[in-house]
Amino acid sequence: MSRLLAAIIMMCMLTGCGTEQRILEDLGMIQTASYDLEENNKLRVTINMPVSATDSTIKKMLLTAVTDSSKEARLLFSNQTELTVVSGQVRNTLFGLDLAKAGIHRHVDTLLRDTSMSLGVKVTIINGKAGELLSKNYKQHSETGQYINRMLEKRGSGNGIMPSSLYQFTRDYHDDGIDPIAPIVKDTGEDAEMDGIALFQDDRYMMKIPAKKALIFTLFKRNLKQGEIIIHLENKKNPKDIVMLSNIMSKRKVKVHHLANNRFKVDISASIRGSVLEYTGNKDLVKKEQRHKIEEEISQYISSQGEQMIKDMQKNKVDSLGIGQYVRNSLSYAEWKSLNWRNVYPQVEVNCHAKVLIKNYGKYS
Amino acid sequence: MKQTPDVTLNFQHIFHQFEHCVDLVHRTFPEIHTDILYFPNLISKIAFSSMILEPFANIQLQEVDELFKQSQFVEVFHSKEAVVGVLEGKAAIFNQGKVFLIDIYGPKDRNIEQSGTETVITGPHDSFGESVSTNLSLIRRRLKSSHLKVIEYSVGEVTKSKIYILYIDGLANMNFVKELEHRIKIIEIDAVNEGGVLAQLIEDKPNSIFPQYLRTERPDSAVSKLVDGRIIMLVENSPTAISAPSSFFEFFSSPDDYYQRWTLGTALRLLRFLALLITITFTALYVSVTTYHYEMIPESLLMTLVESRNRVPFPPVYEALLMETMIELLREAGARLPTKIAQTIGIVGGIVIGQAAVQAGLTSNVLIIAVASSAIASFVIPSYVMSASLRLMRFGLIIMAGIWGNLGLIMGVALIIIHISGLTSLGAPYLIPVAPMKGTDWKDIFIRAPFSQLKNRPYQTKSPNQVRQKIRK
Amino acid sequence: MNENEKLSPFHIAVLVFMSQMGIVVFTLPNSLAVYFGTNGWLFLLICFVVSTINIYFISLVFRLGKGRSVFEILERSIPKAVLYPVYIGLASVWILFGSMIGKKYVLLFQMMAFPTTNPMVIKLAIDILVYLLLIKGIYNISKAATFFFWITLWMYPLMFMFLPHFHWIRLTPFIFKEGHDMVKGGVDIYASFLGYELFILLFPYMDQKKKPMLAIYSGNAFVTFIYIWYSLTCFGLFSLKQLKKLLFPLLDLQALLRFPFVERLENLLFGFYLFLVLITVVMYLLAAQEAVRRITPIAKSHFFVFITIAVGYGISYIPKSIDQVNDWIMKLGYTVTGIGFGIPIIAILVLLIQGKGGQSHV
Repeated sequence: MSRLLAAIIMMCMLTGCGTEQRILEDLGMIQTASYDLEENNKLRVTINMPVSATDSTIKKMLLTAVTDSSKEARLLFSNQTELTVVSGQVRNTLFGLDLAKAGIHRHVDTLLRDTSMSLGVKVTIINGKAGELLSKNYKQHSETGQYINRMLEKRGSGNGIMPSSLYQFTRDYHDDGIDPIAPIVKDTGEDAEMDGIALFQDDRYMMKIPAKKALIFTLFKRNLKQGEIIIHLENKKNPKDIVMLSNIMSKRKVKVHHLANNRFKVDISASIRGSVLEYTGNKDLVKKEQRHKIEEEISQYISSQGEQMIKDMQKNKVDSLGIGQYVRNSLSYAEWKSLNWRNVYPQVEVNCHAKVLIKNYGKYS
Repeated sequence: MKQTPDVTLNFQHIFHQFEHCVDLVHRTFPEIHTDILYFPNLISKIAFSSMILEPFANIQLQEVDELFKQSQFVEVFHSKEAVVGVLEGKAAIFNQGKVFLIDIYGPKDRNIEQSGTETVITGPHDSFGESVSTNLSLIRRRLKSSHLKVIEYSVGEVTKSKIYILYIDGLANMNFVKELEHRIKIIEIDAVNEGGVLAQLIEDKPNSIFPQYLRTERPDSAVSKLVDGRIIMLVENSPTAISAPSSFFEFFSSPDDYYQRWTLGTALRLLRFLALLITITFTALYVSVTTYHYEMIPESLLMTLVESRNRVPFPPVYEALLMETMIELLREAGARLPTKIAQTIGIVGGIVIGQAAVQAGLTSNVLIIAVASSAIASFVIPSYVMSASLRLMRFGLIIMAGIWGNLGLIMGVALIIIHISGLTSLGAPYLIPVAPMKGTDWKDIFIRAPFSQLKNRPYQTKSPNQVRQKIRK
Repeated sequence: MNENEKLSPFHIAVLVFMSQMGIVVFTLPNSLAVYFGTNGWLFLLICFVVSTINIYFISLVFRLGKGRSVFEILERSIPKAVLYPVYIGLASVWILFGSMIGKKYVLLFQMMAFPTTNPMVIKLAIDILVYLLLIKGIYNISKAATFFFWITLWMYPLMFMFLPHFHWIRLTPFIFKEGHDMVKGGVDIYASFLGYELFILLFPYMDQKKKPMLAIYSGNAFVTFIYIWYSLTCFGLFSLKQLKKLLFPLLDLQALLRFPFVERLENLLFGFYLFLVLITVVMYLLAAQEAVRRITPIAKSHFFVFITIAVGYGISYIPKSIDQVNDWIMKLGYTVTGIGFGIPIIAILVLLIQGKGGQSHV
């Protein structure tokens, strides 16, 4: 009897909840949101939502608003469409370069407060105006938001430009021994292109690692499972020698040495294994010594490029490789706290050691 | 002590009881002053001629008393006994004030056929029929043991259906047997036509949605239950054997699991539990995701779902209930119609209506897939009774998911679990070996371990003889 | 209750685990980070030691009292006029604590998925489930708990999916730095271990031949293991300051899960925590019921269960926001922790006095 009563009460609750429903086809699900800095510190928010029309072709709906905050923009969007604008399907957020230079954490913060937003949402910097890029139609490609999102996901691992998510961005933002990074995308007319890696100091964009060197940057940032790179060997005899290293797997190690006067020396070593698919030089890959020679040349190239890159970073005071984490973990708490890492960092002596091993060189010598 | 015949025990009185029964036959053998009453439709012609006609025709009057001393002639002392005897297919023989019954029962029966509801791919294909003596014989010929005991009860004030309780002495726990006997004794009802009726009459919780006793049409399965230490009940004129006590998980095993190699058996078991999950939650999950939790859909599926939902005029919960009802209609129509027409129904319903409903924009094609796969999953479950219960439960879960999405769905599941964890089968916990936990029995529940591992009888039967085998490996 | 309806050790362990484990786990890594800072998860080990000591007290009561009900022990030496008000007090604290836990769960779900639904409607539905479970008695509750246990067990290994992102370096070598209010926080966090203390009331239901105390220890150990497993993962995945900002780090983690057919599982997984919350709430109400039963046998009736839940439901109307509920839970948590240590200590003292008195008589 009591069970019957319970069942009846439960059924009665059916009536009490009509407004809560978010039925799929009534939703405007934001796929990508872009943020640009306008004059007077205003924010231009552009969103795109894929919508299915009745004739079952997918169209996109683009909405733009200039407001003070991103949430305010949401309210404006709701007034512009018959659909309920929701943010649970956001895949990517694009930030224009101007905004990135001014700092993006305030916007990231509002995004995170939203319970329907996941930490998996990507953070991407647009070299230019994010809203303009999102509004553009690339004829050869699928819908722009999706195109960029997929490009970041699919290509990301190969060229060393990994997509960055809110999780990674805020994690590194809040950590005192590392600075966040994010991929940069730019418009090239017919297509969009991955331009490189944006390095932040706290949440402000400081510098860029160009796409060509992104992989070298990544080699010194973390372990790599897959990637490829073209190396122009700066050989005195023949400056046009090219090696293409594919299927790269690498392991990174960081060692911190304490020097006097709160100075540090850091060794970053990357042991890299890959296969050579293209080599235009005159050495014979089959011969052991000559192959070792090439390995050494590549190692040297990567190390010097890495060191150069780190010098640039030190100049800009961005610790994107997370050297600070290792220094921190080698100190006691009091020592670390008394250290102003941001100021110490440029003086740290960083040495890169790349060690390349050619696993194989294809099926034709 | 010699019984004295009661005064009504005479031919006239008994013959009078069968007034207007035109199918009764009265034969007389005037030479030996003998009358015989019987129903020709209940008896075997051969037995009649060999046991009655031949001896009676070739006998002298003075030898009659000697003849009736033979044991097949059972003297009765009450007219009621005589009447019941005739009704049970015996012949009543009246001779000089004495009444004898002789069992010549043997009406036409259906042949032993394949089971309609529980088919296996390999293994014996015979199944129980309506004749309880055949059914008993199917069990006896598989179980050549004098320890197989059979108790007979008669239930149903009008139908007087016979019920047989079978158990193996020394393997079955006598407490269960006593409890079962008690429950059968207190039944007071006009008719028990089928095993399914009996099962409901002796259930612990008749209002539960779950069947508390396993029913089977397969003698091999009945025998294996007996050997487990369980009790089997057979009902006259019913092909259904009831096994008691039963656990929820037993309903998901099929004799096939044991006839195949254990790896395959295990895979099949796991498949069925997957089917259980799919059949009760899949459509509900569709409703909950499309109504509340749009963020759970991966990007690659998102537009497919939106497109398919786009033209549907109803909220997902009504859409789902509509399609589930359609499927149930189709299934029920298919079950009631002759096989040939049922096939047509399947085609018309499944293909034509399904296709048309999507094209007309009444349902989304993703829902059709969800509904169809949960229907198919429900048919994977070997026990028809259990699969029907699960299908019914699905409707409840769909409604719950329509109210509160995932929370509603989980609440529905919680409700089911709370209910099911209180269930017992013949006093033994229904959810054994999961709750209460008996880890060793899991080897024959979620997987079908190799026979060398199945050392003990199921804990639920509380068998006095736990050890099943002593294979040394 | 006949002989075979005693709780076996496995069921006790599961019940202990299910009563301890609840929604606290969603906020636990955050509280650890806020109060204890770096490597806050290590505090869980301290909690484990403390709770183990408490369980040791309980097992002492069990051993000294030879498995007698703790109420019986108390009533032999302390006059009923003193005890009855105490029982009422205990029962009210437990009822309040139970219903606040339920309310918190509802408010969290409301925040996630049903922002405008009246939370008390959801609470009502949950209370109906609690009622249905509670009227079935301890043995069937333990069966339901076991079933719930098995169908929620798969959630814990899901954390393995984050292993590639886990880095020890984020843990830092510093211990308990950058925290504050560690004492207050410690008691607060210790509340997430509560639940085992109720089992001092359940001696009569335990199968005393089969080491029921070991079961309580292992249930507690398993909870600690899961808590550490979750918290360690969070400390290795998030940076400390980020973890301090994420109020429900576990929800955020679960939102990162992606499978080919489904992603953002946090809603569904949070739903599964209903099973854990149900058992926690039911166990507290059961404890209240046990206490009141010493005063009047009415406590066993369905009607009393109904009244208990109705009262709890009525009171859970008072706190409206998550913060208010947290406040209630914190204060009640202190009381329940006190009770958890108090009852066994008093019972041990009483038993010792009784033991001496007994000896002098002989």
